[in-house]
Amino acid sequence: MKAAIIPIITILATSGVVLATESWGQEVLDKKISLDVRNQELVVVLGEIERAARIRFVYSPQVIPVSNEVSLRANNDTLGDVLKKLFDPYRVVFEAIDDQIVLRKEDRRQTGALDRIITGQVADENGAPLPGVSILVKGTGMGTATDADGRYSLSVLTEHEKSVLIFSFIGYATQEVPIGDKTSIDIRMTPDIHELEQVVVVGYGIVKKRDITGSVSSVKGDLVNAYPSGDVMQALTGRAAGVEVVQNTGAPGPAVSVRIRGTNSIQGDNEPLYVVDGFPLSGQPVNLSNSDIESIEILKDASATAIYGSRGANGVVIITTKTGKSGEPTVSFETSYSMQRLRKKLELMNASEYAQLFNIQAANDNIAPYFTQDQIDSFGEGTDWQDEVFQDAPMYTGSLTVNGGSDKTRFSLGGSIFQQDGIIKGSDFNRYSLRTKIDHDVSDKLSLQLSTILTRSTSGRKDSQSGSRGTSLVNSAITAPPTASPYNEDGTINDVSTAHPFVVPDMTNPLYFINEESTNIRENIVFANAAFIYKPIRNFSIKISGGVENTDSRSDIFRTREFRNSDGIAEIQVSSVTSLLSENTISYNNTFSDRHTVSAVVGYTYQHFQTEGFNARSQGFLSDVFQTSNLGAASSPGIPQSNFIESAILSWLGRVNYSYRDKYLLTASFRADGSSRFSEGNKWGYFPSAAVAWRLSEEDFLKSSKVVSDLKIRASWGVTGSQAINPYATLNRLDAGNTIFGNSLYVTFAPGTTLPSDLKWETTEQFDAGVDLGILNDRIVVSADYFVKNTRDLLNIVRLPSSMGFTQTIQNVGGVQNKGVELSINAHIVSRPNFNWNASVNTTFLSNKVTKLAGGQDILTNSVSVLILNDNVGILREGRPIGQFFGYLEDGYTDQGKIKYLDLTGDGLITADDKTYIGNPNPDMIFGLNSSVSYKNFELSFFIQGTVGNDIFNVSSAPSTLDYGQGLNGPKDVLTDHWTPENPNAKYPKISRQSSVEVSDRFVEDGSYIRLKNIQLAYNIPVQKSNWIRRFQVYVSGQNLLTGTDYSWWDPEVNTKGLGTNRGIDHYSYPTTKSYTVGLRAGF
Amino acid sequence: MLKRGVAPVCLLLALVSCQDALEENPRDIVAENYYNTAAELETAINAVYTPLRNGSFIGNYLAPLDAHTEWGYGRGSRAVFNDFQGLNTTWANSVGGVWGLFYLSIRNANYILMNAPDAPAVSDGDKARFMAEARFLRAFSYFHLVRAWGAVPIRTEDNMADKDIPRSTVESVYELIVDDLLYAGANLPTDQSDVGRPTTYAAKTMLADVYLNMQKYGEARDLAKEVMDASKFSLVPITTPDDIATDIWGPDVLTTTEEIFYLKFARQLGQGNFIAWVLNHPSTGLFNFGGSYAHYSDATIPFYKNWNDNDLRKGLWNKVNFGLGDATLVSRKFVDQSAASQNDSGIDQPMYRYAEVLLIYAEAATRAAGGPTPEAVEALNKVHRRAYGQDQNVPSAFDLNIADYDENSFVDKVIEELGYEFIFEGKRWFELKRTGKAAALILANRGKVIAEKHYLFPIPLSELNFNDAINQEDQNPGY
Repeated sequence: MKAAIIPIITILATSGVVLATESWGQEVLDKKISLDVRNQELVVVLGEIERAARIRFVYSPQVIPVSNEVSLRANNDTLGDVLKKLFDPYRVVFEAIDDQIVLRKEDRRQTGALDRIITGQVADENGAPLPGVSILVKGTGMGTATDADGRYSLSVLTEHEKSVLIFSFIGYATQEVPIGDKTSIDIRMTPDIHELEQVVVVGYGIVKKRDITGSVSSVKGDLVNAYPSGDVMQALTGRAAGVEVVQNTGAPGPAVSVRIRGTNSIQGDNEPLYVVDGFPLSGQPVNLSNSDIESIEILKDASATAIYGSRGANGVVIITTKTGKSGEPTVSFETSYSMQRLRKKLELMNASEYAQLFNIQAANDNIAPYFTQDQIDSFGEGTDWQDEVFQDAPMYTGSLTVNGGSDKTRFSLGGSIFQQDGIIKGSDFNRYSLRTKIDHDVSDKLSLQLSTILTRSTSGRKDSQSGSRGTSLVNSAITAPPTASPYNEDGTINDVSTAHPFVVPDMTNPLYFINEESTNIRENIVFANAAFIYKPIRNFSIKISGGVENTDSRSDIFRTREFRNSDGIAEIQVSSVTSLLSENTISYNNTFSDRHTVSAVVGYTYQHFQTEGFNARSQGFLSDVFQTSNLGAASSPGIPQSNFIESAILSWLGRVNYSYRDKYLLTASFRADGSSRFSEGNKWGYFPSAAVAWRLSEEDFLKSSKVVSDLKIRASWGVTGSQAINPYATLNRLDAGNTIFGNSLYVTFAPGTTLPSDLKWETTEQFDAGVDLGILNDRIVVSADYFVKNTRDLLNIVRLPSSMGFTQTIQNVGGVQNKGVELSINAHIVSRPNFNWNASVNTTFLSNKVTKLAGGQDILTNSVSVLILNDNVGILREGRPIGQFFGYLEDGYTDQGKIKYLDLTGDGLITADDKTYIGNPNPDMIFGLNSSVSYKNFELSFFIQGTVGNDIFNVSSAPSTLDYGQGLNGPKDVLTDHWTPENPNAKYPKISRQSSVEVSDRFVEDGSYIRLKNIQLAYNIPVQKSNWIRRFQVYVSGQNLLTGTDYSWWDPEVNTKGLGTNRGIDHYSYPTTKSYTVGLRAGF
Repeated sequence: MLKRGVAPVCLLLALVSCQDALEENPRDIVAENYYNTAAELETAINAVYTPLRNGSFIGNYLAPLDAHTEWGYGRGSRAVFNDFQGLNTTWANSVGGVWGLFYLSIRNANYILMNAPDAPAVSDGDKARFMAEARFLRAFSYFHLVRAWGAVPIRTEDNMADKDIPRSTVESVYELIVDDLLYAGANLPTDQSDVGRPTTYAAKTMLADVYLNMQKYGEARDLAKEVMDASKFSLVPITTPDDIATDIWGPDVLTTTEEIFYLKFARQLGQGNFIAWVLNHPSTGLFNFGGSYAHYSDATIPFYKNWNDNDLRKGLWNKVNFGLGDATLVSRKFVDQSAASQNDSGIDQPMYRYAEVLLIYAEAATRAAGGPTPEAVEALNKVHRRAYGQDQNVPSAFDLNIADYDENSFVDKVIEELGYEFIFEGKRWFELKRTGKAAALILANRGKVIAEKHYLFPIPLSELNFNDAINQEDQNPGY
């Protein structure tokens, strides 16, 4: 907000009409002000008055000679008197509209006759009335401005018939409309395409987009809110270059992994730091609703992130919630209703095909056939368990936001509801939140801010995933025998494990998980952040803020006595996670001699984290009536567990931004972080950064260019860190346990299996070079970045021989490199009063490799254990990407129809040495494409995103297509395309329970996809005539309607084990949905 | 907790040095401040038991050992044992996990041996008792390791922090075991107040077993005799097959006169025995959580067909056709109808019971004397009589007569008796290997030839990959 002084001048030069800085007031002309300026440009004086009276001027540069030097002295005079004194010499009249003072030339009669009056209303892009819009008859000084309802009335002369009216307003594109013989002209303004003038939130401050020296992506609230999602970050998928958001599963509620510029850490989590309204969260922003968001900024390069020091290595996501504005209160109401369904059903064998398959298995294993032909014929279709498990599920969102305020107080109040049922019966996620943000000016020097968000969420989980042989819900939904019926005749659940003698006893009817088991989670999240801002003298601002984030959650887990082999299990898990923050900064902003602009911030912060957990479990209940409400009623109460974890970070930070004539920009920052997690002597880490930028477009040789409206090149370097280890990891703690003597419980104490060692920060050094280019008056804005990130002192698990009793230790060894290119293009293809077409594309090319490991030693990762397949499928090796899939290459089948593997070493044996690289789960490229067309009251937008070049290791297909001895159902092609002497090149080997399987390229599939993530058609019902409705939009949309992929299973957007070293695994995951939505957005 | 008062000050004041706020003070015990008192040492020695009571010790080691026998079969992925061609990758990894459990138990024992001598507040008597218990348990693990994997690395309190340690010879492992057990035998009490901790008799029984494996028959005989002469132990009398399952180690007995060293379990979540789930079949109703019948047997093999029908132990098999035919046998030896969960039956797991002492004596005395002695025959007969529901101390019609046997034929009888007596107690495979009977019995019963590599488990990758003193060349043959 302080940065506004210089830009005003620039704006004056480029656009028609200006609104100056923020201010508020009624009866403004009676306001008393004091002022003493000498020989200053008029524009500067106006700025001083705006600040002193907290008003803003609305005027066209043609109206007043802004660069005239004036002197003015006022001593507790009314604003009206002061203005009269100031403007009289220029024959300028003024009029107060709320807090705005509209300046006009005195209406001097011309020679021609006053012909008629033109009236009309000006609305914003949503149809809401826009006050203060300047309207001028081109080439004259005649004009007016719109009133609080956006209405205007203007007298024109006959001779103006061939002239045009110019409508202009800051932040909106200037429009010219021929007058002709019209008496009424209504106009809808469209947002200005000068994106570079937009303000961007960065760490501990804000900055104009064009003054940024680092790499920052900004996503506005309306894009975040474009389609319903249970997680704010999920809405960011494909929206920003360099940011990869991956939905891990299709389960309702938050379940995403976010990677900014790749995976840095092996040991730590690679999630970015989330900062909400200045408060660094301890986890993901699960308490926020999409409708709460004003904007999301993603800090990517070290120049932007180093100010967050030890938590900046994975990038920083800065979320700003909606803020109130003074003036008439505005009310926004939004609601939507969606219907979700399984995106794609797997084509599985039906009952008679299933029976045929197992008869083939029996024949191949020299066993008498299980079924007669009559039986096979009579089975028919049988049960498709997918129909029993998946449902069409509704999702509802609703939000109400009220913004408003007086001259001293601004507020924003928001309430929102999110209710989502999952496509697996019985799963759901509901969130209710209440948000308040209040700004109050105690005096000219002191103001207060308070932001609170109260969130309550409840969810029913049915995420029994993974497993093998029908041991999880998702698993048995596709492996249960289709020959078995879901229920017995008496209505009880059919125990399908006894359907046939060859069915594995583990096989669990999925209805047990759905009907006879529940996991319900309740969370109450309090987020509160308060700040005092004190401005003792001009240009200085001291901010003292404190905040708390507290999540209290309780999970109730219950299994009834009706579940197979169950005598009733009840469990309650309670946890409380609290983070307290104290943040104290001093900022300074000034401009010297019109060319040197300096802004600086120094600060001190302290953040404290505390986690307490409690867990109790009981088993053996006489009745299901207790559920989890009486753990004491069980025959086998478990041993209650509790824990306590505490950690703290203490930091000093500082940053300086300097710019010379808007051309040369420099940023330097420094942060020192002390973390309790590290060893004595290694607790402190130091994180410097520097960046330079050169705005070539301000240089004379480009200034007059008609093509290039903006051109900036920039480079940055910096160091960030990652804590990557849990609290207490360097201490030789003893774990408590229990054992039995006689029939009694005894306590045990012993070290764990991770050997503690001295540890220090993991640091990431990043270099970034970028260019920002605006073409044709910023109609097209291109931004490109190249970056290299080197992570050193990588905290890394070092495996120990298991005979030590310790299986691993953590050491600062190893390094990882991520480098890549990001490109984003925003284009305003068409920008007309009634027709707008905007499009944007972003894409990221990324490569990742491990540069160093302890002793050069490989680390096997990604352990998969599905009985038929039991091995590590990933390897960390120097020179290879994190997550590298590692296994055998297949070489057809033996004469017996068994899978043959390539003997790479040529020693005649298949040993571990024959394993090689079989796939890479990291995409070569990710992209997003957004298009939005509006014509009159219609808007059509769509959003496409996808990945290229990533592999998926399909763990699910191992049990489902190869474990023939267990009576598992599988895809149809297992029956139609397996090895026989006549079909030696089949997709699957011989159907025999003697089949053996190793980790091989068979399971690696191309995970590239392109997806129509969202498409929306909206209609803005015309409401100009109404006094009380600003906007009324109805829309229909669809999510994930079209997907192009070669991936054979449910959906390519899957990461059962999240990202990081275990990414790209599909192991019977909760499948992704597609959905149809109807909704409305209204403003009052 | 972070230093009291520091946090609020740091929250309020910007300019106070808050270095103290970065000190970690977990609400946990830190090793450096522990191992001072007898109570502390007791919790530490208790941790030596935990790895051995782990479900995978039972499920992935003890039970599969009996699938390498003339009568044992593994179902599903466990069918690989029945091929007698060595372990596949899956099972190499699974038993590799058990290797880790043995060494975890050894490490926890070594912590006692390292810290107890310096414990300031512990009497010399208590120190000796804790160290004896630790050495007993350490010997227990090494005795399993050396029989299953052969030459293994020796980790004691003196080298436990060294990462790279080569395989020792089988002889030196036995040397350590004997040394530990001699110390344990001399320093453990004759009675323990906590049922489940080893007594001096447990140490002597195990040492007798060790000597048997070392073919030191005289020493084995004398130690077994010491235990027999203590008059503290006797066989639990039975009249029906199910008495075996309920009275000798069943979930409802706290201890028995036959118990020498059992792993103790209780019907508590996380504290029960996994064995009932491994062995039972849901159709029998003998285990209230069904069962996975992962191991089974077959009524058509000579071992079963030649078994006297009057032997109550034969009644511990149920015929259950779960898809493999009518002759499939499922065990009813470990049963609990009131288990706390699928993993938590209250059944104690016998490691050494008095019946074994008697049979060790019978074999060792016979071998040492070059032929059966009356005492040796009587020892075997006691076990035999009990199995037929007779009074163990009164001669019966089922007795073996010394005149009918020479050294070899009597030892064969002892081995046969061991086979019937210790089904699913993890004994048989080691007996067959020790006595050299494995090849013949498995060929006779199963028609299978044992591959050389099958005799030892592979050194697990978790060792081979990270212990620089053991390379692929040091791997057991065939892997």
